[in-house]
Amino acid sequence: MKWFLRLLEKARPLYEKGGKLSFLYPLHEATEGFFFTQSTVTKNAPHLRDPLDIKRTMMTVIIALIPCTLFGIYNAGYQYDVVNQIPNANFWTHWINGAILVMPIVMTSYIVGGLWEVLFALIRKHEINEGFLVTGLLFPLTLPPDIPLWQVALGISFGVVIGKEIFGGTGFNVLNPALTARCFLYFAYPAQISGDRVWTAVTDPSKTIEGFTGATPLAVLQSAPDQSNVVELLHQAGYTLKNMTDGFIPGSIGETSFIAIAIGALILIATGVGSWRIMAGCFLGMAGTGILVNFLPGQDVNPAMRLPFYYHMVIGGAAFGNVFMATDPVSATATNVGKWIFGVMVGFITVVIRLFNPAYMEGSMLAILFGNVMAPMIDYFVLQTHINKRSRYLRKMAYAER
Amino acid sequence: MPIQIKRGLDIPLVGKPNSTVEDISPSPICTVYPREFEKMKKRLLVKEGDLVQRGSPLFLDKKNPAFTFCSPVAGTVKHIALGPRRVYERIEIEAVQKDQPLTFPTFSIAQIAALSREEALSLLQKSGLLALIRQRPFSRDANPNAKPKSIFVNAMSTAPFQAEARTVLQGQEAAFQAGLNVLTRLTEGKVHLCAAESDKDSVPALSQAKNVTIHTFQGPHPSGNSSVHIHHIDPIQKGDVVWTIRAVDLVLIGRLLLEGAWPSTRIVALGGPGVKPEARKHYRVRIGTPLSHFLAGKLEDGEQRVIGGDVLSGAALARDSSLRFFDSSMTVIPEDRERQFLGWLAPGWTFYSRSKTFLSAWFRKNRSWTMGTNMHGDPRPMILTGLYDRYLPMNIMVDFLVRAVLAHDVDEAIQLGILETDPEDFALCSYICPSKMDISGIIRQGLEEIEKEGL
Repeated sequence: MKWFLRLLEKARPLYEKGGKLSFLYPLHEATEGFFFTQSTVTKNAPHLRDPLDIKRTMMTVIIALIPCTLFGIYNAGYQYDVVNQIPNANFWTHWINGAILVMPIVMTSYIVGGLWEVLFALIRKHEINEGFLVTGLLFPLTLPPDIPLWQVALGISFGVVIGKEIFGGTGFNVLNPALTARCFLYFAYPAQISGDRVWTAVTDPSKTIEGFTGATPLAVLQSAPDQSNVVELLHQAGYTLKNMTDGFIPGSIGETSFIAIAIGALILIATGVGSWRIMAGCFLGMAGTGILVNFLPGQDVNPAMRLPFYYHMVIGGAAFGNVFMATDPVSATATNVGKWIFGVMVGFITVVIRLFNPAYMEGSMLAILFGNVMAPMIDYFVLQTHINKRSRYLRKMAYAER
Repeated sequence: MPIQIKRGLDIPLVGKPNSTVEDISPSPICTVYPREFEKMKKRLLVKEGDLVQRGSPLFLDKKNPAFTFCSPVAGTVKHIALGPRRVYERIEIEAVQKDQPLTFPTFSIAQIAALSREEALSLLQKSGLLALIRQRPFSRDANPNAKPKSIFVNAMSTAPFQAEARTVLQGQEAAFQAGLNVLTRLTEGKVHLCAAESDKDSVPALSQAKNVTIHTFQGPHPSGNSSVHIHHIDPIQKGDVVWTIRAVDLVLIGRLLLEGAWPSTRIVALGGPGVKPEARKHYRVRIGTPLSHFLAGKLEDGEQRVIGGDVLSGAALARDSSLRFFDSSMTVIPEDRERQFLGWLAPGWTFYSRSKTFLSAWFRKNRSWTMGTNMHGDPRPMILTGLYDRYLPMNIMVDFLVRAVLAHDVDEAIQLGILETDPEDFALCSYICPSKMDISGIIRQGLEEIEKEGL
């Protein structure tokens, strides 16, 4: 690859200050940085630096997303083939049809979002940040496979520009950009995306299989008649604990398989890239709230309150949100205690919205965005406690020394 | 009972110097760098062509004229180099063969313990060795008018390849005790001697130390940093002044008082992957010896960076410079400008990282690694959180301290404990930072800002 490196280095002066294409410098820097590590050396102490950088951190998140993405592609094709009763559907047609459905969505997200990122980098003269690679993949994974591409383009534009760039780019955003994008679509086009109908691409409604109603598990919960058994209702609608765990159910591209998400979570935790405190907090918060509502009055009117807590983990996008969205280090809390509080709060609100909010099915997205907004305040209180503890420690030590 | 330090990291760098001490022949040239004494306003007392003796004053501090710094050799002042804004860059002295030390008064160990504070201070100022004592907060040279509430002697060396106390103190027990005795004259509080648990009983200078309180620490770097010692023993409160000194420096003070001559040689550790394996040891060498003389034949081929001090907090030295007064160690590491193809995808088998995203962190533990000066990435905004706290064993939240300093929020920075720290404490945080920030530099800036505001 030496020739390629020479080529890049030869082209460099063109893009540097005074060069003809200097306005494209961030683009050149990003390309060069993509292919080759930098030759910069430390200027002052410490003279050594650890090889981990943000680029690799973000790539680790992408790697952790691979199981969800691959499964999402396969499952989109599988659901398409089943519902539309494609003749001779097999393992390979699932893959192919899934790719035909999903790849355009991912590409649209990357291309449109990438254009915004580059545009801002060029105008603002900051580097093209690797964080976008994560946002650009996270966002399509939260979308249904039948979403129109113009909505994808609109959503990612909103997410990148309003969610991130107007605050100054990666590292300065208040909200998670991918979720901001998702949330924008959610409120702008509720008919398609609010989560009461499942999103299997249907080519010809007259040919769908019998019994295909298109109600999501969350919609089943919400529409459960008084005093009914919700687990039974879920079974009737085709949702069992097993298929909600392995993920062969209709839903958004990346969120259906609990197993794929768990693999991603393991990668994030093992490499130390994702905060295990936030993930654990989220799941504990959900479990705790799920158990709590089992003992609250009013279960006859709202039979979803009887749902065993572990169902909450596998239903809807909560697992995906907890693992990949809530752990965004920029928009989450920064203190260790704060991470626990943040996680538990997100889990709690997720379940509360699911069970007690008549308008929206999925609480995870709103809970995480709410948590993002609250994060600085949580950190503030943790910090005040820390400062008080510090001064107590200093007083104690001063007393001991006398 | 040792104080256990859990947070931190011993960087597994190749090239630890062994404990043997070799003498370096005196070189014909000796260079003094007045710039090392950052916060002083210097006035030269010699001019080119003057004859000086070992121990005769070269310059004084205008803010405190009693402080003079002395020549390490007898000879002729050959050249005085001026830097930008006519700062005194360096004073080159051509040494004569016959060493003629100017005599300082001599004392016995017992006599030292009976000195008054003024006598002790005036001796230290006259010789310039007071500069070896550092003052907290703001990590500056000790102000003789300040009343330190306690003095911390640091006999530890946890940063990679600092001079080992056990090697430097070998045979210098008397000088070390003399130094400790003079410290007891300088404070009304206690003198704390902080040592590694493994050294406490096996190093006679430490086990026999008198008139001081001895504390031991155990754990990875920075358990050997004075800030950590102070934090766990007698933390700095607002308004407090604490003095610190390294044990390897205290020996110089002790020698001055016992021998009555300016101690011009010191023991310097030379290590790092850029040093030939057989040359990785301690050297007894005269302060101001040119590096060309000291390091001749000792370095590996290729582009190497010579660092005065350790890799975490030292300064890169030009090859034509000389051993500085404050350096008790030298580390040489290769300049690493290699560019790897698709480095972000590299499995990371062949180099060390603390991060578990590299295979070496899983399967190749307990090895030493050759590391170079590559940045391994470009600066980015602060993204990951909670990393730094794992490398500073003090009750301090580094993320927020850094943010407070960047926001020029002096009050919050003080509440978060910046006065207890020294920039060197954050070297590991900078080392680990994936956003490649210069945490030590930020903290230094914050400390300067607070000092300027006069808090």
